[in-house]
Amino acid sequence: MNIIQTTHLTKSYSGFTAVSGIDLHIPQGSVYGFLGPNGAGKSTTMKMFLGLTRPTSGSFTIDGKRYPENRIEILKEIGSFIESPAFYGNLTGQENLDIIRRILGLPRSAVSEALDLVGLTQYRHRLARKYSLGMKQRLGLAGALIGKPPILILDEPTNGLDPVGIHEIRTLIRSLPRRFRCTVLVSSHLLPEIELMADNIGILNHGRLLFEGPLEELERSAAAKGYPTDNLEDTFLALIDEDNRRRGGAR
Amino acid sequence: MSLTLEYKKSKRTGCFPMFAVGGAAAAAFPVLNMAFRSDMYVSLQDSMLQTSVPQNSMLQNSSVRILLEANWQMMAMVNILLAVLGACLLYHAEYADNAMQKMRTLPVKAGRMFTGKFAWIIIMYFITLTVEAAGIMFCIYRWFQFGGEAAAELLQSFGYSLLLALPAISASLLIASLCRNVWISLGIGVVCVFTATMLPTSHFALSLFPFAMPFQILPGTTKTTVYHFMLAAVLETTALSATELIILKIRRLFE
Repeated sequence: MNIIQTTHLTKSYSGFTAVSGIDLHIPQGSVYGFLGPNGAGKSTTMKMFLGLTRPTSGSFTIDGKRYPENRIEILKEIGSFIESPAFYGNLTGQENLDIIRRILGLPRSAVSEALDLVGLTQYRHRLARKYSLGMKQRLGLAGALIGKPPILILDEPTNGLDPVGIHEIRTLIRSLPRRFRCTVLVSSHLLPEIELMADNIGILNHGRLLFEGPLEELERSAAAKGYPTDNLEDTFLALIDEDNRRRGGAR
Repeated sequence: MSLTLEYKKSKRTGCFPMFAVGGAAAAAFPVLNMAFRSDMYVSLQDSMLQTSVPQNSMLQNSSVRILLEANWQMMAMVNILLAVLGACLLYHAEYADNAMQKMRTLPVKAGRMFTGKFAWIIIMYFITLTVEAAGIMFCIYRWFQFGGEAAAELLQSFGYSLLLALPAISASLLIASLCRNVWISLGIGVVCVFTATMLPTSHFALSLFPFAMPFQILPGTTKTTVYHFMLAAVLETTALSATELIILKIRRLFE
């Protein structure tokens, strides 16, 4: 069953199309990796799911609920982390999460659980504005994970983390469907990261969906088209290159 | 719920101390004025008792009227500046580290943040007015005759001031919510306040400017004018709040 499904989802701004008629199918209980170069439309698609930007045409359903009719119901099911960490700099990490907890109507224990999950417990009383970039990133993740929502939308969640942090967060994301029975949509332009985390992937380029499916299927389909299949990076680059060539050299 | 949230969000923004200190500074103004020029104001009371006050005007206690007429312009200006600064600080906390975006991804209605902040500023404004009322009360006690009548009139007068401040508070919040850059909202707010100081308080139509309304005082104003101002304050506040909600909806369409 697909928990997130889009139908010809399109977002155009004056002069250019950020997302062009994509049909996504994100299975429940999986980690779905959203891959694409910068400006491919990954963040815009995620923003549409969260109601931060309105689709120009097309539609999507999340857990059977339609946007915009069921916006609030959809948001109740999603924990999100978009682009860069968003927080109140004048509040501590714990106070930031407490604000979210109150809005979501969660018990007090949800805050300490979320802090614990991302390894911020010992810094919970520090002002968020004094956090390092990695700590801010973890706070953003904690804000998404609080209350263990059934759907998680994470836009480049490992940006700014050191290698140890990247490994920790990657392991955490990988374990989420099993631990909390949730679905994770995670975007990244770091291919090895997606390779290690995702069950299914979607590859976007210039707003168009070039591929969707399990990694094995990508390998098969790439081999059939004569693309290199030694590693995901080569396959991805070949796919993007071919698409750019077909579009007349645009990069 | 919204109010508690806004209270928690405003921690360490300096908003509450600013209202408290601002209120104390405004309250000190009539005290200092009386300390240096008490003879002039006390003698005014005698001349006021000899002149007949129109029967349809509000509040007959001359000491409250003398003190408000002498000091309210300055006190009101401090109050409106506090409202503008408070609104800017509250929204700056939302925009500075992008918390606004996080709030928009949570299951809350778009207008709840505005109503929560509106309620929180009204509470802080109320505290400011209470401190100022205490200052006026001290002056009456020290230099005039303090009695139950004066206390009741003071209460009515400051209640009227709170009601007439609502359009300025909602307008300040509306401006602050529209500008990501705090300096722009602050600049617009300050220009509005100083524009209001240049408008004559005796001119009804000009006094309807949201930032000019708090300069009105209750003592000596006819009942009809008072009712008109009260009605205008309610209508302006409703209109400004509705505008905010409409803007939030329209903004979503164009993002």
